[in-house]
Amino acid sequence: MKKRTMFFRMITASLIRRRSRMFIALLAIAVGATILSGLTTIYYDVPRQMGEQFRNYGANMIFMASALNEEGLTSDILEQGLTQIPDSKIVGCAPYRYETVTINNQPVIVAGTDLQGVSKTSPYWFVDGEWPSSNGQILIGKQIAETLSCGIGDTLLMTYSEEAIENPEQPDEVPDRGLNADAVNIEFTITGILDTGGNEESYIFMSLEDISELTGEGPYDVCELSVSASSEELTGYVDNITSRDLGITPRLVKRVTQSETTVLTKLQSLVFLVTIVVLMLMMICVATTMMAVVTERRKEIGLRKALGASDRSIVVEFMGEGMMLGAVGGLIGSFMGFAFAQAVSVNVFNSTITLRPILVPITIVASVIVTGIACLIPVRRTTEVNPALVLKGE
Amino acid sequence: MFLRMVKGALTRQKGKMVMIAFTILLGASLATAMLNIMFDVGDKVNQELKAYGANIIVKPKDNSVLEDLYEVDGEDEIQSSYLQENEIGKIKTIFWTYSIVDFAPFLETTADVNGTAVTVTGSWFNHHLSLPSGEELDAGIVGLRSWWDIEDGQWLDEKVNPDGIMVGTTLAQTLGIRAGDRITLTTDNASKNLLVVGIYNSGADDDDQMITNLDIVQELANTGDLISSIEVSALTSPDDELAQKAARDPMSLSVSEYEVWYCTAYVSSICYQIQEVIPDAVASPVRQVADSEGAIMEKTQLLMILITILSLLGSALGISNLVTASVMERSNEIGLLKAIGAKDGAVSSLVLTEILITAVIGGIAGYFVGYGFAQIIGKSVFDSSIEMKPIVIPIVSVLIILVTLAGSIPAIRMLLKMKPAEVLHGR
Repeated sequence: MKKRTMFFRMITASLIRRRSRMFIALLAIAVGATILSGLTTIYYDVPRQMGEQFRNYGANMIFMASALNEEGLTSDILEQGLTQIPDSKIVGCAPYRYETVTINNQPVIVAGTDLQGVSKTSPYWFVDGEWPSSNGQILIGKQIAETLSCGIGDTLLMTYSEEAIENPEQPDEVPDRGLNADAVNIEFTITGILDTGGNEESYIFMSLEDISELTGEGPYDVCELSVSASSEELTGYVDNITSRDLGITPRLVKRVTQSETTVLTKLQSLVFLVTIVVLMLMMICVATTMMAVVTERRKEIGLRKALGASDRSIVVEFMGEGMMLGAVGGLIGSFMGFAFAQAVSVNVFNSTITLRPILVPITIVASVIVTGIACLIPVRRTTEVNPALVLKGE
Repeated sequence: MFLRMVKGALTRQKGKMVMIAFTILLGASLATAMLNIMFDVGDKVNQELKAYGANIIVKPKDNSVLEDLYEVDGEDEIQSSYLQENEIGKIKTIFWTYSIVDFAPFLETTADVNGTAVTVTGSWFNHHLSLPSGEELDAGIVGLRSWWDIEDGQWLDEKVNPDGIMVGTTLAQTLGIRAGDRITLTTDNASKNLLVVGIYNSGADDDDQMITNLDIVQELANTGDLISSIEVSALTSPDDELAQKAARDPMSLSVSEYEVWYCTAYVSSICYQIQEVIPDAVASPVRQVADSEGAIMEKTQLLMILITILSLLGSALGISNLVTASVMERSNEIGLLKAIGAKDGAVSSLVLTEILITAVIGGIAGYFVGYGFAQIIGKSVFDSSIEMKPIVIPIVSVLIILVTLAGSIPAIRMLLKMKPAEVLHGR
C-alpha cells in the first residue's frame, strides 16, 4: 500500500516539477490523439454525409404499378410501399401523373406531382421565376415555353377531353372547344420556367390537385424516390417490396445507384488511406518526442541505479509516467478530435455529427500504448548502461 | 572554426541529429503527401464522377418540342433539323479541348422487327477519330454509359462487328432475343440483317430499345450524314457567382470577367465554346449531372483542405516539439560556450545552423517520401498517379523552416538568459 502511494507520488512529482518538458510531451500526445479521433470520426461519417450530397443526382428508386395490378399506383398502394422503407432514409418522394392535354389545339404533356417532393427528389431543377405555391399555378419546361412563346406571368388555357386525346392528329374536327360537352377548360398562370437540360423541359408541371381537377382522379403513373442508403440496402428494399406483392414494381435507377457506389467507395478509401498515413506519421512523431524526453533523463536513471534501484522498478516508474501522460493526452485529444470533426462537418456539410462514445476509450488506449512503447525503448537502453558511465556524463 | 564546430556537432551527435532529421522527414512527408493529394483531388474526383455520364447535350437549334409531342401520339417522328456528323470532331477543337473526356452522337428511328415496331438508336461505341490537329482518340458510349450491365454477350466493338446491334433487356425478353442471334430491321428505306452482340440492362427506358452503329441507323432512316444530338462528357470546375452570372447572359460580363469566364472550365463556358464551333447547335448543361458534380467536388475539396490543415498543424507541432526538446537538452554545452566567452549571437547562430542543416536534409528526404505516399494513395484509390505540383515544394520548405525556427528560437533565448555557472552546475 505504502509502496503504491510512493509510486504515484514519484510520478506526479516528476510530472509537476518538470512542467515545461512534460507539457511538450503532453502536447505531442494530445495532437496525435486529436488526429486519431478526428480522422476516425470523419472516416465513419463520410459515407453518410457524402451520401446526402449524392442525393443531388436525384431519385435513385422508382415505383411503378406491377403488371398484375389493375388499379394502378393509387395513393393507398403507394403508402403501403413507402412503409417498407424507414422514414429516416427517405430524402424525398414525388409521385407523378402524366396526361396529355391541348393548348391551342396542340397536344402537350402535363405532369401532376407533389411539387414539394420534387424539389427534394430533383434538387438540380433550375427554376427561373418561382415554384408554384398555390393552385392554378404551373411550372413550364423551357423548350415548350419557347414553342408556345410564353413567359412568366402569362396564362395558358388547357383543354382536356377524352376525345381530343384519342384523335389528336385531327384537332380541327373540334373547332370550338365550347361545343364539346366533355371538355374541361382551365386557365393556369405560369410562375416559373424549368431548365434541366433533360426531357423535363418539354413538359408542364402542376400540383396533383390541379391535374385531378383538369383530367379527373386517376392513379399515379410512377413515383420517384430519393433514398439515402447504400446499394445493398436499396436492393434489400426492392426485394422486400417485390416479395410482399403490394402491386408495386420497384426499380433502381441504375445510373444513379451504380455510379454513386463507385464514387462513394473511392472517396471513402481515399479518406481511409489518408487517415492511415497521417496516423502512422503522427504516432512516430509522438514516439520520437517521448524518446527525446526520456533520453534526457539518463542522468536521473543512472543516479537511481547507483542508489540501488532495480532495473524493473525504474522501467515500471518510467512506463507509469509515460502511460499517465498518454492517458491524459488521449483524453484531451479525443475531445479535441471531436471538436475538429464537428468543425469539418459544419463547414463542409452544414450538418452536425454525434460523438461516438466508443472512440474516447479507443483513443486513450491507443495513446497509452504508443507512449508506452515510445518510453520503453529509451528506458530499456538506459538501464543497460553502467550507472558510473552515465553519471560521469558520457 | 564555425564550420568545423557545426560539422563536429553534426557528426559527433549523430544519433540525436538523425532523430531530429527523422521527425522533420516525417512531418515534411506528411505535408507533401497531403498537399499533393489536396491539389489533385478535384481532378481525380471529377474523373470518377464521369461515371454519371454526359454533362452537356448538344442539339440542333430549331429542334422544337414537336418530336416529343408527336412521339406521344404514335406518329412518325418528324424532326425538323439535324446536326452534321462531320461537325462532331469540332468539339475537340475548342479552347477547353482537354476537358472533353468523351462524346457520342445519337440518331433515333423506328424500325420493324418481326412485326414489332421498336426504337433503334444509332451511336458510336468506340469510334476512332483522327482530328485535323493530328490527335487520335476513341469516342463513344462505352464510356458514356458506364453503368450499363451487359447481361449477355459483350459491348459492341465497331471494328469487329460493323453489323452488330445491342438490345435492351426488356425488349430482348419480349422478342425472345439472345446474344448471337441475327435479327432483321426493316423500315420504308432499307432492311438490315444484324447480329445481336450483347444484351444490356440500363435500369431506365433504354431497356425497351436497341442500339447499333450510327451509319446503320442513318441508312434505315435515310438521313444521310445527319445526327439528332451529341452527348458530351467534360471535366468542369464547380460553378461560382461568375459562372451563374455568365449562364444567364455571357454578354452581361465586363471584358475582364468575360476573359476569366471563357478561360475557366465552367460548364457554361464549355457549352458556349461548343456553340462557337458548331454554329447551328445549342449546347446545354445536363443539370442533373453538372450541378451535382459541382456540389460533390466542392465538398470533397473542402474536406481534403481541412484534413490537410489538421495534418500540417500536427506535423508542425511534432517538429517544433522535438526541436525545442533537443535544444533544451544542450544547456550544458551552451553554458560552457558562454563561460569561455562566446557571445549570444555566435551561440545562437551555431545552434540554428546545425538545426537548419538537419532540417534541410530531413525536409528534402521527407519531400520524396511524401511524394511516394501520395503515389501509393493515388494508385490504390484512383488507379492513376497523383500529379506532382511544383507549388508544393516552396510551401513545404517555408513550412519546415518556419516550424524549425519557431521550435528552436524560444528555447535558445531561454538558454541564453540563464547564467553559465547555474547551467553548468546542473540546475
